[in-house]
Amino acid sequence: MKFLKPTLERLSYAILLLIAVLILNFSMLHLAPGDIADTISQSMGGADAETMEQIRRDYGLDQPFIVQLGQYVWKVLHFDLGYSFFYNQPVTTLILAKLPATLLLVITSQVVALVVGVLLGVYSARKPNGLASHFVTLVALFGYAAPVFWTGLLLLIAFSLKIPLFPVAGMIDVTVEGGFFAKAFDIARHMVLPVIALSSIFFALYSRLCRASMMEVLGSDYIRTAKAKGLSESKIVLKHALKNSLSPVVTLAGLQFSAVISGAVLVEAVFSWPGLGTLAFSAIIERDTPTILGILFFSALVVIVGNLLTDLVLRLIDPRIRRKG
Amino acid sequence: MEPLLSVKDLKIEFDTRYGRVTALDGASFDIHPGETLGVVGESGCGKSITALAIMGLIPSPPGILAGGSIKYQGEELTTAPEQRLRQLRGGEISMIFQEPMTSLNPVFKVGDQIAETIMLHQGSSKDEAMDKAVELLRVVGIPEPTRRASSYPHELSGGMRQRVMIAIAISCQPQILIADEPTTALDVTVQAQIFELMREIQEEFGVAIMMITHDMGAIAEMADRVAVMYAGKIIEEGKADDILDFPGHPYTKGLIGCIPALGKASASAQTLPPLAEIPGVVPPLHLLGKGCAFADRCNEAHDACKVSPQLKGSPHAVACHAYRGDVA
Repeated sequence: MKFLKPTLERLSYAILLLIAVLILNFSMLHLAPGDIADTISQSMGGADAETMEQIRRDYGLDQPFIVQLGQYVWKVLHFDLGYSFFYNQPVTTLILAKLPATLLLVITSQVVALVVGVLLGVYSARKPNGLASHFVTLVALFGYAAPVFWTGLLLLIAFSLKIPLFPVAGMIDVTVEGGFFAKAFDIARHMVLPVIALSSIFFALYSRLCRASMMEVLGSDYIRTAKAKGLSESKIVLKHALKNSLSPVVTLAGLQFSAVISGAVLVEAVFSWPGLGTLAFSAIIERDTPTILGILFFSALVVIVGNLLTDLVLRLIDPRIRRKG
Repeated sequence: MEPLLSVKDLKIEFDTRYGRVTALDGASFDIHPGETLGVVGESGCGKSITALAIMGLIPSPPGILAGGSIKYQGEELTTAPEQRLRQLRGGEISMIFQEPMTSLNPVFKVGDQIAETIMLHQGSSKDEAMDKAVELLRVVGIPEPTRRASSYPHELSGGMRQRVMIAIAISCQPQILIADEPTTALDVTVQAQIFELMREIQEEFGVAIMMITHDMGAIAEMADRVAVMYAGKIIEEGKADDILDFPGHPYTKGLIGCIPALGKASASAQTLPPLAEIPGVVPPLHLLGKGCAFADRCNEAHDACKVSPQLKGSPHAVACHAYRGDVA
């Protein structure tokens, strides 16, 4: 089995990593000043020291740190992320309700960034000194240099306010009637601007990297062999060169997964996208520790799964990485 | 006999940061069906450029075909459309390269890489082409060809990979096989095996071989005729035996002197003559003057060498002012 053994090995590392992330997150949040008792007393218009003590006892915040940590890890291992006192819901329910929206945004953005980045990278590698190539470079540098939230705001001003092509905020227009396709089209319309904003920075990275690796590959000996076989240029570029130049791009895409998620938090805030980012934002404001921890946990999970997938894809692309199982 | 390939006054220039330099300056030679032409010279003398020009693969820019003609079976290749050149490449004229370690695509199975050429030029189905690929692997002496066809290049040794390259090159029964230093990167024992294989293939398929090398030993082993190149020019040409026994150009003499005498003298190390060397290096192309390019390294140079000598004589031609004709 070429894939099974390394995958299982990776999986066991991933679980250990996840537990480490859990402990680290919990410890860091514990060090931060303020807790749920502060939020509750604030909403009550202030409370005396005795009431504060009472609240902390009720929520188990008076226990020693190590006990709290142990309890938390134990609960998470039983798939229980705790209870959000602010939202009055189990954290898992809360997150699972928001996760699909974020995943939709993140995955679409990554796919768009990869496809557009690779296409433009390949295109500009074939005539590296042409006008079109320089234009791609310019656009890529702009995308790379501009902060995601700023790009998002500019897009909003341009295509929602000045030229009202796309909706300003949210994910679904409740007034839209009709079947599945009408609803899907509505969501797609809402997605256009957030996806462009979120993919701009990554498309820039991927197109630059793809251009560089493509240029390197096109100068290699086996491309000369492919030419000597009499293959057409398009076959040489799209078959022989592309598969070889994809490895670094896929590797980078995997490494960028965490950046995409943190970018999603900003983009969601700008476009009021009802996902994990918006949830994280308000949970931080409200010092809703269990929810923050839960979101961090899920983000780590998504990143780890993303890296595992990257690994698998790399194995598919490049036989030299496959180990004998 | 009508030559299979006829190269006349071929001139190739390159744009470099020193300005335009002449990488190949008026090379002419013929290759006849079934023969082996050896092209010898040091690195940078224009051997590989000549081969790439025949394949129509001079990278342009910076390369420029500045003049001359390449005729394959009477058909002019320098002006042929790309479409026609692609048909010839890998079909009628094929090439193997110096670096077997990097000349195969690392992400495709070797069987597929052979089959690809067959499907392209012979229009075979995938299955037919794969069967033929396995057969070719057997012909080039790879054990367990069926299993090896689904190996990736990194799972094969250098010698095996060069065998795969040869299998690709002969897959469509080409008329000409250009071998650009096919054994330079290989062990000596493997070199001998590859030469042996090339000879077998030549006998079986009657293919003409243009063998590019810097190794006079390889020439002695393989070539029927020899063209010696120096700084973008052919400086001596003739039958391999004539040139090896009676070299006319001081540079050729130098190259022959570089063959280790091991085996010629059966005595101990003390009685072996010291290995000869040619002093200096090939001058950079942008510094070439009007005179003989070899004059600075030549111990026979005199005043006449300030003018570039012409290639004279037939069938043994030499471009040297000091040359006074064949002894034989």
